[in-house]
Amino acid sequence: MNNLFDKWKTKIPKYSEEFRAILFDSLSKKFGGSEKVKIDLGKHFSNNYELYMYAFFIGLYNEESPSFPEKAKKVDFSHPIQYWGSKGTRLDRKDFTNLQEYMFMALVAKTELNLIDLEKGEIDEEDIVKELIQTMESYTNGGLTIIKEKLEDNPNYFLQSTSFLNMILDSKLGLVSKKTQVLE
Amino acid sequence: MIIKKISLENFLCYYGVKEFELSNGLNVILGNNGEGKTKFFEAVDWLFNGDDRNLDLLVSAKALHETEKNESFRVRVSIDVEQYNEKKSIAKSFIVKKGGKNESLISNYMLEGVEETSTGERCQVDGKSLLNRVFPFQIRKYSMFKGESELNIFKNEDALINLINLFSDAKHFEKYSEKCAFLRDKAEKAVEDATKCDKKNQGLYKKLTSEIEDLKNEEYKIRVHLNSVEEQIAKIEGKLQEAECHVKNADALETINKRIKIIEGKISDINKMIDENYTTSLFDENWILVNFEPIQKEFSEKIEKLNIKKRELQSEFDRQIGQKEGEKKAKTELLNNLIPLPVGVPSKAYMEEMLKDEFCKVCNRPAPKGSEQYDFMSKRLEEYLNSQAPVEEDKSIKVLFENDYTNRLSTLSVSHEDNLANLRKIRFKIKQLFRFNDSRKKDVEEQILALEKEKADRERIIGDSSIGAEKLIDVLKNYNSWQADKTLRYKEKIDYQKKLDDNIELIKKKTEEKENIDLKTAQTFQIKTREILRDIEKIFVETKEKKFDGFIDQLEKKSNSIFESLNIESFTGTIYFNKKVIGEKMSVIPELQENGRTFYKPNQSLLTSMHISILFAISELAFEKSEEEYPVIFDAPTSSFGEDKTFQFLNLIYETENQKILLIKDFLATDKTSNKLVIKKEFSNVNRNKAFWVVLERPFDKNNLSTINTNVITL
Repeated sequence: MNNLFDKWKTKIPKYSEEFRAILFDSLSKKFGGSEKVKIDLGKHFSNNYELYMYAFFIGLYNEESPSFPEKAKKVDFSHPIQYWGSKGTRLDRKDFTNLQEYMFMALVAKTELNLIDLEKGEIDEEDIVKELIQTMESYTNGGLTIIKEKLEDNPNYFLQSTSFLNMILDSKLGLVSKKTQVLE
Repeated sequence: MIIKKISLENFLCYYGVKEFELSNGLNVILGNNGEGKTKFFEAVDWLFNGDDRNLDLLVSAKALHETEKNESFRVRVSIDVEQYNEKKSIAKSFIVKKGGKNESLISNYMLEGVEETSTGERCQVDGKSLLNRVFPFQIRKYSMFKGESELNIFKNEDALINLINLFSDAKHFEKYSEKCAFLRDKAEKAVEDATKCDKKNQGLYKKLTSEIEDLKNEEYKIRVHLNSVEEQIAKIEGKLQEAECHVKNADALETINKRIKIIEGKISDINKMIDENYTTSLFDENWILVNFEPIQKEFSEKIEKLNIKKRELQSEFDRQIGQKEGEKKAKTELLNNLIPLPVGVPSKAYMEEMLKDEFCKVCNRPAPKGSEQYDFMSKRLEEYLNSQAPVEEDKSIKVLFENDYTNRLSTLSVSHEDNLANLRKIRFKIKQLFRFNDSRKKDVEEQILALEKEKADRERIIGDSSIGAEKLIDVLKNYNSWQADKTLRYKEKIDYQKKLDDNIELIKKKTEEKENIDLKTAQTFQIKTREILRDIEKIFVETKEKKFDGFIDQLEKKSNSIFESLNIESFTGTIYFNKKVIGEKMSVIPELQENGRTFYKPNQSLLTSMHISILFAISELAFEKSEEEYPVIFDAPTSSFGEDKTFQFLNLIYETENQKILLIKDFLATDKTSNKLVIKKEFSNVNRNKAFWVVLERPFDKNNLSTINTNVITL
């Protein structure tokens, strides 16, 4: 049985270099110290991919998926999706590899794919996966832009422990789902 | 050893020959200030420890005054002792020849010893070696105390260590453990050299060695920090206790301090319960999926559509093929051009059930045998069974879909359908946690209010204190900041302790790594030799420590039992010997504790009782070790005691075994009618074996030393 998910998760998505210093280097602390200390030190992500995933969902929930400008230089952090969220040596954390499937579902839902032609064997699966990754990068790009704007408005915004959570809850889809849940 | 007699001749205020016939047990020498107590003590000290320096300062001014020019006289201090039923005497003396105009010639001193055997034979021996035989130097050092401040011989960090080494069995192990350390060092070096020869491991080995070295340096630094924090805590505690003793209602203060501690503990516990790692929960608790439901719906719908589209195309394709294949055509016609369900739906088991019951449970209508419905169902079942049977592939027939990606996507969609309920709960869970955290924060606020109230109460109590207003402001100002300081330092202490533990753990790990390399490369015999030598060293070191600790334990027990009897009906804390190791250096400091809390500023009389208790304990232990008793000589050890306590003290030490010579200024008074110095009648109630009174011959001119002469009255 053919499996797009298995193929997709071996990929390493990229992001625009403009966010490296301003977001990845400052919001995710990936060197040294135990997980606990990182949390105590400030309100940070403990991995680059956590920020990446977060930005993706922010883009997704706000329906922001601008594609990269042509000239933008793309970078990655050499960590294939399949390892994102695996517990490994992070003793005080839980495994959240299941989020990979949700990201994949979102990508399939949001990407114009000619799956019939894929089934017929007229398109290569690699092309489909490429499209999925492109969507992923676009949403992440959208999310990173939103985070960057927040940070530019108020450099101390993320010093509150609830900031990152609130951005998810107050996203476009978040407000909709809040309303429907209140009605229910 | 017992001192039978001490004679002083022309020694300072003792003009002529003055004798103290001493007894075993307690000898009390009374004397007013400036009448000869301390001179007596100094005379004995000179005999035991003095040298040739400043001999002219020891000469009796009266003797010099009474002596004619060019005549000489002798200055002499001697003791007669009894040891193992043998009499011995030791005398130190020098000759003074009077010259003109206050100039005199003074000889070097002479130390003579005379031994008398049990048969009464007397023979001259070397005084110095005799002295050391009857009263060994190390014991002498801890047998003579002048004044209360000198009692605290433990101010010097090494003092107690020396003493313990002297008496405990630990000293026997010292030389062996040193030797073992030397041998172990050599063996380790041999293994190391062998390992270093192996080129392959050289780099890693070197790296590990230098890492371990660094870690050890780090450990030393941490220990120094830890020690200094502990010292700071002791200082702050001392200040706090000093401030607290001005406070009238000390009990209430203690209760409040305890309550404050409890509240502070509560606050820290509640704070621990507050979980605000919301960012982590976005991932670990899947909170990030809080808004995912519409997207999942979108996904399912898309996959469903894809499924339908695919079947539609398949059936269209099949129909075209079916024109060639009558059977397939017939099947499609039956369906009135609708898209057929996939083969195998409903499942085989359901189909068989429906056929058996002759009822279509999909459209809820009977399907009796022979009816159109019944035939349709049995045909579908047959069709399914046929599809499962192996068919020889017809290579000429083209397949529409080469791949099947849809199946896996459908599975994904279905499997996450069940999880939707969980996604819907996320928002509620977040709210719940917020509510929980908020209410904990409220708890913390309440506790903080309570804490402030207690602190205000504490200030009120401190305010109600026995010192003047000016100083009070000072105490108040500092008290709270000291308390805050203390909390801070305790935190630091915990941090350093944790750092230290981590560091030790790391050293252990690195050493193991290093030794694994050794095991692979060095010769077996080298490794084994090293292991054996390590074990032997460990045995010696541990035995030494055990003996040492055992001795401290014994000393602590003895000191405390004496201390308790010294302080009947008043405060009874416990003496605790605090053993500290920093680097190679070890020190033992006696402390006073009550319920585990150290008293940093005990009053002088308490301190004196503690020191005397320890000294007596040492002397008792010395007796147990060497099976010989030695006298102790105290000059004014109890000046902070007051007469009542001194009375108790004397009666207590009367009970102890060894010989004691005590010089005190109590129990003397001036008779109002005769204006003469007399001994109070209370002294007759003091238990003692012998008592003397040293008193200046009257009249005398206090500005003229040559009129000074102390007489010794045996009471």
